Parts: sequence; structure tokens; C-alpha cells
Amino acid sequence: MIVLGLDTSHYTNAVGVVEGDKILADFTYEAKSDSLEQIVANIESTLQNAGLTLKDVEGIGVGLGPGSWTGIRVGVTVGKMLAFSEGKPVAGVTTLEALAYAARNESPLICAVIGAGTGDAVYAALYRPENGAVGRIGEYYVGDVKGLTALLSGPAVLVGNGARKYADIVGREMGMNIKAVEALPGGASVASLASRRLTRGERDDVLALTPLYLKESTAKAFVNKYRSSHT
Amino acid sequence: MLILGIETSCDETSAALVADGRTILSSIIATQLDLLKKYGGVVPEIAARRHTELIGYVIKEALDTAGKTLDDIEAVAVTSRQGLIGCLLVGVAAAKSISYSKQVPLIGVHHIEGHIFANRLSHPDLPLPHVCLTVSGGHTMLLYVEADCQYELLGTTLDDAAGEAFDKIAKFLGLDFPGGPVIDKLSKQGDRKAFNFPRPMIRSRTLDFSFSGLKTSVINAFKDKVRRGEPLPLADIAASFQEAVVDVLVGKTMRAAEERGVTTVSVTGGVSANSRLRRVFEETCKRNKIDVFFPDLSLCTDNAAMIAAAGYARMMMGEVSDLSLNVFPNAPLEG
Repeated sequence: MIVLGLDTSHYTNAVGVVEGDKILADFTYEAKSDSLEQIVANIESTLQNAGLTLKDVEGIGVGLGPGSWTGIRVGVTVGKMLAFSEGKPVAGVTTLEALAYAARNESPLICAVIGAGTGDAVYAALYRPENGAVGRIGEYYVGDVKGLTALLSGPAVLVGNGARKYADIVGREMGMNIKAVEALPGGASVASLASRRLTRGERDDVLALTPLYLKESTAKAFVNKYRSSHT
Repeated sequence: MLILGIETSCDETSAALVADGRTILSSIIATQLDLLKKYGGVVPEIAARRHTELIGYVIKEALDTAGKTLDDIEAVAVTSRQGLIGCLLVGVAAAKSISYSKQVPLIGVHHIEGHIFANRLSHPDLPLPHVCLTVSGGHTMLLYVEADCQYELLGTTLDDAAGEAFDKIAKFLGLDFPGGPVIDKLSKQGDRKAFNFPRPMIRSRTLDFSFSGLKTSVINAFKDKVRRGEPLPLADIAASFQEAVVDVLVGKTMRAAEERGVTTVSVTGGVSANSRLRRVFEETCKRNKIDVFFPDLSLCTDNAAMIAAAGYARMMMGEVSDLSLNVFPNAPLEG
């Protein structure tokens, strides 16, 4: 099964193509804050470089975030509208899972970390290697990187962009050395994880596909806080 | 030529199928009225999230209603200029994906050009040249329309858009959102002459508008009543405020028509749904032997049918976009 994967949650964006366990293309490029301009043209060129067209794609994997809110809206919209237009199945993959997948051979416990915009705030989750992929343990974490000390135990490895910096902060708090794997969300990782799921017959509802924000907009958070303190 | 139009520039998620730029096969508009009422206005991040959730369903609904599939589509037109950036990009991302998948042309459309073409959907033989007043919650513009897609900007608002003034006054008076229809309805029970609010810039030599001072006047009149402990004649305030806005919009448009020597006026945009504005335009134009045209009420507020119609005109001029199409929140209207 040929699966296209895309992720636009980061300052780098990624497009990859896999067929089963074989990576046919894996392209990561700098998009900064402008995912919209390049993503569709880069899907086309990545497929071309692999000698493929969109018609050869049998399933689509979409990075859902967390990450840049604007970025994931672009990626999720492109992923679901391509799947709808092509009549192909879609599988959403969280960006944290894609990062953990990149470190699946590094440790029995993997903590995927993505910067959450301001200061040392991060999105994170724990994973363990599972049948060649990764399985999440527990809930998603949103908060200061130091709070990861409560999540981590034993020989965990931190994976993500800036993992070294985060591992140093957490390691200092815990008084131990924490291993770090620098990685960016990869298109082929997203495609591989989606491919496993689609091959098993699991698929997401194409039109219902929604980004994983993990945080409310500030306006909503403000209104909710205001309401709860005034009722 | 069957065009799929997509519009997500503000708070309506909309898709439409339009044949040859004039026949609407379907026009689906998902409003975010529930969110507007909850937050008292458009919150860009929340609106963008809602667009992302709805876009696929709205496009499918437009296809199903028209009895078509994406294979029948011959081009995709999408609002790419003027609006909230996070909202615009959802529509453009969807449009690009369909254009790439179906190998059909992609046309980026300016939102205001869409409003101009809304009136062409309702009146295919709208005479040219004419003067166009396009007025909504986001803009207030007077244009000289020489031919299709050829505009000269005659005047614009220097501060609030007229529709924005309606919204802000409604909010201040404790009325519902959006303010336009609420004030229109309430005004019917009020006295238009109860308060003599200013008609800003009505005598200025330019064709520009300003509504900020009028807004302040209304708020001051309201506060004055409160201070004196007098009853608050909300309907009178609403009617008098509305009359001031209408006088300015009609007055400036008539002057533009006179200066340009045209006998046709086109009034479009969300505020063109206002019943008092339509009435005064009709009476004034009749006296001055000018023909005035308004879009059907369903085409006044933001909709994708008008984007498809404008996209068709641009395509006929050979203007298409490529897959690198981007969004420009403050782009001027060109042509």
C-alpha cells in the first residue's frame, strides 16, 4: 500500500511516501510560518521525485499536531480534502507519535516533546515501542517543561526539536542524565504510522478530521474562566 | 463552465456551485452565529477552528445539493484576499487540494470583488459603467465600475465600516449580534427623527466615509439619558442612528453617480440587506432618474456563490492562480 504522509505542525514541514516498510520519499523543508504557500506544490514534487502521481497514492496520513495552530489547520485541511477528492482513506497521526516513532529503537520509554510557543511551555506524551510502532502511555501533557519530571521515570529518552535543551532542564531537576534524540516530525514517519493503521483496516472519518490543538484559544479560555468565576 | 466557489474569509463557511458565472446550482452557508452570540463578535482563532471542522462537510453539501461530484467541477474559485488570515487559509488550503487532485484551474478571488459580483448573480444584465456602493461589517467602499473587473476607488471609510458601526451600537445598547438585522427590526418601531445625530462627512468634498464620530454621538446620547434618569428609548435611538448611516451612504452614492454621470447604481454587501437603506435608495434614485440594484437577500452577506461568479469573470480574462496561491488579509482591490 502506497501511503502519502504530511505534517505542517512545525517551522519545518514534511512530506513523505512509504510503501509498506519501504520509504519511497522523505522531504523536510523550512516553511517557517507559511505552510500554506508550499505544501500542495511540495506534495506534487515529492511524489514526482519518487516517480509517482497522486493517483498512485492509496492512503493518506496527516499530522494532526499539536504544534503551530495555523500550521495544523493547513495540513489537516489539505490532507482531508485530498483524501475526499481522491476517494482514498485517511489516518490522522499525532505529531508527538511521529516524533516518538523516530526514536522507537532508542529506549523502552520515549518522551516526545514539542515547544508550545512561549517560554519553556511544551506539549509532550510518553510512548513505548510496540510491534515496530509506538503506543502512547497516559495522557498528553501541556505545561512547563519542568513538569515532565512527574511523568518520567527510569531510562526515558526525550525526542523532539530542542530535545537536548529540554533533557538538560529535566535532568537538572531530577538530578540525573537524560538521553536526548534531536528529531523533526517526518513525513515518512507519519506515512508509516498511517500505513500500519490503514493496512489493519482502521481509518478516520475523512470529513471529520480535526487538528489536535491540546489548548483552547485564549478567548475561549478567558470566557470560560470568567464564567466559572461569576457563576 | 462549472465552478466550485469557496469562501471562509470571516465567520461564514461557504461553498457553492455556479454555472457560467450566473446560474447558482447550490449555495451552502454555515454561519457561526452561535459563536458570535457567545463571544459578542468574531474571535479569529475560534472562527478559524470552526472553518477547519466544517469545510469538508460544506463542500460535500454543495456538491450533493447540486447533484454533482468533484469530477464535474471545471475550476475552483476561492477568497484569497482580504479577511482574517487564519480563516482565509482554510478555504485556500481546501481549494488548492481540490485543484491539484482534479487538475482543474485555481482562481484566487478578492472578497470585495465577490460582493460586487453578487449583484451580477441577481441581475445578469446589470448595466456598465455604474457606481457601486459595497458596504458590510468589514468595509465601506464607493467604486466606479467601468467594465467587468475594472474598478476605480472613489471613496472608502476612514475608520469603522458601516456594518461595524451597526454591530458596535447594537452591542452597546445590549442588543443581539450581528447588529445590522437587529437594529433594522427595532428601528421599525422607533422615530427616525427623535435624535438628530450627525451625518459625518456628508458635506466633505471627498467621497470618503467616517462612522466613528457618529458612534460616539449615539453613545453620548444614551449616557445622557441614563444620567438624567430618563427612560431609554432604544427603538428611537436605533432608528435615528440607522437614519444617519443611511443618509450618508445614499447621499455620497448619489453624488458619486452625479460626478461620474452614470444612471445606474449597484448596492451590495451585508448592509445592503438593510430595509431602510433599500427604501431610501429606491425613493432617492427614482427622483433622480437613476436605476438602483440590490442583490437577493441571500447574496448580501458573505457567500461562496459570489466568489464563484467573480472567479468566472477573472478566468475569462485569463487570470488563474497556481498551487503557490497565498492569502493576503489586507490586499487592495485591483483591476
